[in-house]
This record gives sequence, C-alpha cells and structure tokens, in this order.
Amino acid sequence: MKKILVVDDEESIRFLYKEELEEDGYIVECAKNGEEALEMLSIFKPDLISLDIKMPVMDGIEALKRIREKERRLPIILCSAYGEYKQDFTTWASDAYVVKCADLTQFKSTIRKLLGLL
Amino acid sequence: MSTPINPYDLLKSIVQLSTSSIPVEIKQDRMLQSISRAFETDRCLLLRPEKIIPNGFLSRLVSEKKPLWVEEGSSFPKENIPPEEKEFLCPTFACIPMFDEVSFQGILFISFSKNHRFSPQEIDLLLQIGETIGAVIRNDDLRQKAEETISELTALYEMGKAVTSTLQLKNLFELIVATGLKILKAKGGVLRVEGRRTGALEIKCSKGDYHQNPLDEKIAKRVFYTRTPLAFNHSGEEKPSLSILCAPFLSKGKSFGTLAFYDKDSNASKFDERDLQLLLMMANQMSCAIENALIHYETSEISQRHEKRAKELSTLWELNKALLTTVNFERILHLTLTAITIGEGLKFNRAILFLVNEKKRILEGTMAVGPDSAEEVGRVWASLSQRQGPLSDLITQLSPQSTSTLNSLVKKIQIPLEQEQCILSRTVLEGKPFNIQFPQSKEGWIQTRCERGCHLSSEVGCYVGEHLSRDPKVYSFATVPLMGTGKVIGVILVDNLYNQNPITEEDIHFLNMFANQAGLAIENTILYRNLEEVHQEFKETQTFLVHLEKMIALGEMSTTIAHEIKNPLTSIGGFARRLDRTIPEESQEKKYSQTIIKEVSRLEKILNDLLNYTRDESLVFKEVDLRGILEENLSMVTQRIHPGGIQLIKEYAEEIHRVMGDPHQLKQAFFNLINNACQAMKGNGILFLRVHPFSKNGSHYIKVEVEDTGKGINPENLHNIFNPFYSTKESSLGLGLPIVHKIITSHRGKIEVDNHPGKGVNFIITLPAQRE
Repeated sequence: MKKILVVDDEESIRFLYKEELEEDGYIVECAKNGEEALEMLSIFKPDLISLDIKMPVMDGIEALKRIREKERRLPIILCSAYGEYKQDFTTWASDAYVVKCADLTQFKSTIRKLLGLL
Repeated sequence: MSTPINPYDLLKSIVQLSTSSIPVEIKQDRMLQSISRAFETDRCLLLRPEKIIPNGFLSRLVSEKKPLWVEEGSSFPKENIPPEEKEFLCPTFACIPMFDEVSFQGILFISFSKNHRFSPQEIDLLLQIGETIGAVIRNDDLRQKAEETISELTALYEMGKAVTSTLQLKNLFELIVATGLKILKAKGGVLRVEGRRTGALEIKCSKGDYHQNPLDEKIAKRVFYTRTPLAFNHSGEEKPSLSILCAPFLSKGKSFGTLAFYDKDSNASKFDERDLQLLLMMANQMSCAIENALIHYETSEISQRHEKRAKELSTLWELNKALLTTVNFERILHLTLTAITIGEGLKFNRAILFLVNEKKRILEGTMAVGPDSAEEVGRVWASLSQRQGPLSDLITQLSPQSTSTLNSLVKKIQIPLEQEQCILSRTVLEGKPFNIQFPQSKEGWIQTRCERGCHLSSEVGCYVGEHLSRDPKVYSFATVPLMGTGKVIGVILVDNLYNQNPITEEDIHFLNMFANQAGLAIENTILYRNLEEVHQEFKETQTFLVHLEKMIALGEMSTTIAHEIKNPLTSIGGFARRLDRTIPEESQEKKYSQTIIKEVSRLEKILNDLLNYTRDESLVFKEVDLRGILEENLSMVTQRIHPGGIQLIKEYAEEIHRVMGDPHQLKQAFFNLINNACQAMKGNGILFLRVHPFSKNGSHYIKVEVEDTGKGINPENLHNIFNPFYSTKESSLGLGLPIVHKIITSHRGKIEVDNHPGKGVNFIITLPAQRE
C-alpha cells in the first residue's frame, strides 16, 4: 500500500483529495503547510507527496527545496491553482506539475505514473 | 539857273522829310527830288556803299573822306577810271560822301549836263544836306537793325516762354526746331540729344529737308565733342549748295546735344555770322530748358518706379494680412492662390499649387484657382468689379470653388521629384523660379520636345499641352518655389492663359516675394495641423493608458479573485463528482449532480482562460520541433477527431529547422487552434495540419497551417477575432484566439487568417526558424 502525503492549506482540498485517493486504495495523510509537511516526512515516510504552492508559513517551493535536501528520490507533484510556476526553474526539481482541477483524472494518472503503477 | 536857290527852303523841306514817318525809300526819293528841283540837276543819286566798286575814284573819295567837286575845266584826272564809273563823268558833278563816327552811309551824287559853278553857299548847303541825308540813312539803318533784333528777341522770348511752358520733352524739341526754322529762315533743322543709356547722339526731332548724309552726322559729332559751334557753307557747281549751322547744347561745361539748321531760305542762301550768333543764343537758352525737361522726365520715371514699388509693398501687406486670418490649411492655400489671381493682387489668370510629399518624394497637385473658360473669366470679372473694400477683405471673402474642373484635374497630378526634365521638379530642386515661353518657330518647337511629343520637355508640358491649355503651341507659364524655413515645400505655377499678357521679370520678382511669405504661412498651417494631430494622438494615448492601467489593475484584481475562486471550485467540483458516482444512473438526482459537474467545469475553463491570458509572460525559450508540438496536441484531442467524425490530413515536411520557443506556450497556442477547428466542424469535416519551411530575403521561417472545413468566420467578425473578450460563443470568454495571437507575437511570429465563409478557415502561423 502506497503512502501519499497531501499538502494544502485549504481544508476542503485536503478533504477531497483524501477521500478520492483513499477510495483508490492509497494511505493518505495531510499537512497544512510546508513546515508540517517536513515534520510528517520522517513520521509518515510517504511514497509520494502532493505539494500545493501557495501556503502560509512555508510555501510549496521552499518546502520542495527542503524536502529534496532530505529525500532525493521521493516523487513530488506540485499541485497548484496557479499555472505560472511551470516556468520557474525551481519547479523543475519536482517530478510533475499539475494544475488543480475538479476532474482529478489527470492527477491520479500522474500519481500512478510516478509510483510506477501504470 | 533860272531861280536862285533858297537854301532855307531846301533845308527845311529836307529836314521835314527826314523827321517824317514816311517810309525810307520814299523819303529818300523825295529828298533827292527836292534837291534836284532846287539845283535843277540833271541827275541826283544816292550811291549806297555796296554799289561803290573798290578801285574806282569813288572808293578813293570814301577812303579820303572828302567831297569831290568837278566843274568844267577842273583838273580832274579822267584816266584810270573803271568803266562802271564812266557814267558819272559828267561835265559838272559833285560827290559827297556821307560819314558819321561809326559808319559810311553812301555818296550823294549830283550832276549837271551843262556847266555849273558851285558857289560856296551851294557847297555849304550841299554838305549840310549830305550830312542830313547821311543821318537819315543811318537812322533808318539803325531802325531796321533794331526792328530785326527786336523781332528776333521777341521770337526768342516767345520761344523761351513756350519752352518753359512745357516739360514734355517731345513737345519741347519740336518747339525748338520749329522756332529755329522760323528765326533763322532755314529749310531744315535737326535736334540731337545724347541718349542716357546708349551714350550716342540720337536724333530727337527733325523738320523740313535736312541732308541725311554722313556729313550731317559728322558735323554734329564734331560739334558735340569739341563743344564749339560750326558754320559750314559750301556752294559749288556740281553739288547742290549746302549750308549748315550747328551749335552744341551745353550744361555745366559738358555738351549733351546739338542743334543744327540747313539751307537758309533766302537769297543769300548762306548762314552768316549773325545767324550763328542767334543760333548760339538759342542753344544757350534752350540748354537750360532741355535739361530741366530731361531731369523732370527722369524724376517722374523714378517716382513712377517708386510709386509702383510702394504699391507692390502695400499689396504685399494686404495679402499678408489676409494670410494671417486663418491657420486652416485648405483656407490658406485658397487665399494664396486667390491673391495671385485677383485683379488687385498679382493679376495672373490662373495659379496652381503643388506641394512636396517628402515620404513619397513626389510633387502632388494640391489646389488650383482659375477660370475654366474664357466666358467664366468675363463672369468672374463682372462680379468682382462690383465689390469694394480693402484687398485683404476681398481675398478673404472669395470662397473656394472646389468643384472647378481645373481643381479636380490638378489634384490628380503627381510628379516624381527626381524627374529632372519636369520644370516643376527643377523649381523645387534648384530653388529658383522659371519663366517659360514656348518658342515661336517650328524649329524651336522640336528642340524642346519631350518623350511624349509635346513641345515642352517636361511632364508639366505634357499636362499643359493636353489638359491645361487647349492649344499647346501658345502656352507660356512661370513657376516659383514655395519656401518654408530653409527648404522648398512646394511650387506655384502661374499663367495668363486667357489674356495672354506676357509675364515680365518684375512679375516674377513680385510673385517670388509673395511666395516666400505664403510659403511660411503654409508651413505654419502644416505644422499647426501636425501639432493638432500629435496633440490628438497624445490625448488618445493618454486615455488609452488610463484605460490600460485600469485594465491592468482589473487584470491583477481578477487574477487574485480567480485564484481565490479556484480552490473552492475545485472542492465543489471534486465532491460533486464523488456524489455523482454514488447516484444511480436513471434517477432524477443524477441529472442534478451532472449539472453541477458541468457547470463547475465551465467555471474552471473560464478561470483558466482568464489566468492564462492575464498572467505575466516569462518565456523560457528552448529549441522546439513544431511537429512534435502538434503531435502532443493531437494526442490530447484524439476523442474529438476520429470518433468525432473528423478526418485528419497531415503534411509535414521531411526536414525542418527547429524554432526557438517556449514549448508549453506553443503547445497551448496550437491546442487552441486545433480545438477551435474541431469545434467548428462538430462531427464531420477535414482537419489539415501542414508544416513547411520557407525562406524570404535570406531569412528562414517555418510555416504551420491549421485548416478546417467548418462554417468559416463571419466576415463581419473577422477583424475582431483576435480581440480579447470578443466571443460569439456563449460558453467561452473568447480568449482562445487572442491567446494564440499573444503567444505567436511574443515568439516574433505572424498569424494570418485565410477565411472562406461557408467553406472553412485556414490559420497560417509563421515562426522564425533557428539556424543550425
């Protein structure tokens, strides 16, 4: 059973993602911001992280950097309402960039691809 | 003697006779008769000095100044007497020469046929009588001389009076010569004056017969240069006799003319000293008068010129006043041309204005003022002559006739500036005026032929010959450059087509002066107009910038709002989908959940479009193969294509260069185009995708075409398709094509639309290729 860490400051988003991913058979934990995500890293040891960008305390880019310092190989999806960060070179450190959408099909297929489950 | 002589009676009668006012000849006759009667002489004569021959005894008496009494038996030598005097040798005779201090009047001669003894009384008496008669003669001579002199002086006085009565040179000269003829009793007279400009002696007046032979001229020249008068009398057997009197006109020591008379019309037919003196007197007197007249003539010429100049300047001032009344471009042009053609202005028949178009390097016909026909000339004249008022008002009152044929003809004329044969171009390039008179002779006609065969080697000549003038052989015109500040801004062409008045250098000079002023005024209006345009642009730009700022603010705001909305929307849509999955297929609730999902989707699309369009571009350029981009897009729309009933035709060139671009943006751009194409064809149609390289002017490009066979774009909307927020579809913001446009332009490319309403549309994208 693969473990996914969902990081987002919006509660409803965390709720939705958790419901959807658990339905698909993943074990899901959530974090409210980048700092919490770092804490969860050693506790939860996720197989994949879904990282929102615009978050208080520590945003997604900073969190991405910090996580990468610890885990080089961990697949990270940057998931955002914003599209522009696709151009930012720091985002290249992530494995995928997905724009938030009510239809989670693409999100889910990206997860499967990154976990080698395709 | 029969009766003794009463000396007292005889003397009394002689004295009475002498003091009477009987004419001289009769007086003398009667005196002689009295003497004859008293002395009972045989002969009693009065011998005038001219009748006395030089070498006779009579002349000896004259030189001895002594009377001669010859009685019979006296020892009077009768030898060596010239034959003419033999008649005087009577038996008794007396010769009494009459003298006074000044002159010799003559000899009183009495003779007796018989012997007579002169008593001392008689001698005394005779001597007294001789003196008296001498006195009479002398008085009479004096009187005659006086009379002549008086009449001559009177004539001179009259002439003087008449001459000072007129300053007209021509009348003056005629008067002088006529009076001279009268006074000198000559047959002919010539008056010459030195010409001011030529410096040669010119004949100003001649009357009667005068010898028009070289002698006449030679004498005149000699008199003129030597400043001394000349009298020349020639009488010969072969040639007709010729007598000439010539005197110079002198002023301030220099001679300025000559007066000559010919052939005295009297018995002597020769001019004498007295005549010469008279002539000199005349010449002296007349010199002054002539000089006065000459000065007057020159002064009036100068003052005429000045008046003319003053009038020109005042006309210029009026014209300039008129020019200052407006800054409207059309109006100024019209005022300028009107001023040139109006009667009180420069008086040309027609005036045509050409302006230089710097960008195109051509001369454009801009405006023309002038009648279209001779009849119109008359009408315009008639109406204008009724107007009154200062010139500036007159000009400003005349309204433009934009409908005149000349005007519309001229507006079509365009002459390249580099065409050097055209007189108009040359006027601009050389910056000086031209005055062209076509040549009269046929040979001259050929010399200046231009390529089109008219007689003026210029484009204007062609226009002129064919359009502006009905008869090319009789057209003459002038051009002046229109000067702005430091450069030529145009040309004015004028002609006198209807009244055929020649165009003089002065006219050109005046026109040039006016054109300089007009040029500045016209340049001002052009600058003013430019300023107005610039100001307008500036205001528009300002408005636009304000609008833009609003838009940007709005955009920023909308971006923020969009982001705020996005997250909740994702939750709503996500949970709606979850619910939808639990609701049975055929139930009513299914419809509800489906609706929610659909609407959320729609909102998401709107937000995405908005965020895509308003976000800042920071492009990351990479080398991109456009074919790859298209293929990626195609994989995303596979549902639409084959299952959707759309046929796909691909034409990819074998080898193409790569393009420097942002792959994501390019993907987005082509995605929009392909998506639009599929939507337009809704179920059936053909989608063409073509990728080709092409080169132009040494640069390489890649051309991508996305063509569909849908309805095409409504031509009314065609110019708005790249306008953001302009959409004919209900379910979109209409940002698809604007985004494509923005992406392509930021890649330095070009997008073109080949629209066929009813048949389809082809979007042609051109992007610069990366050279390897």
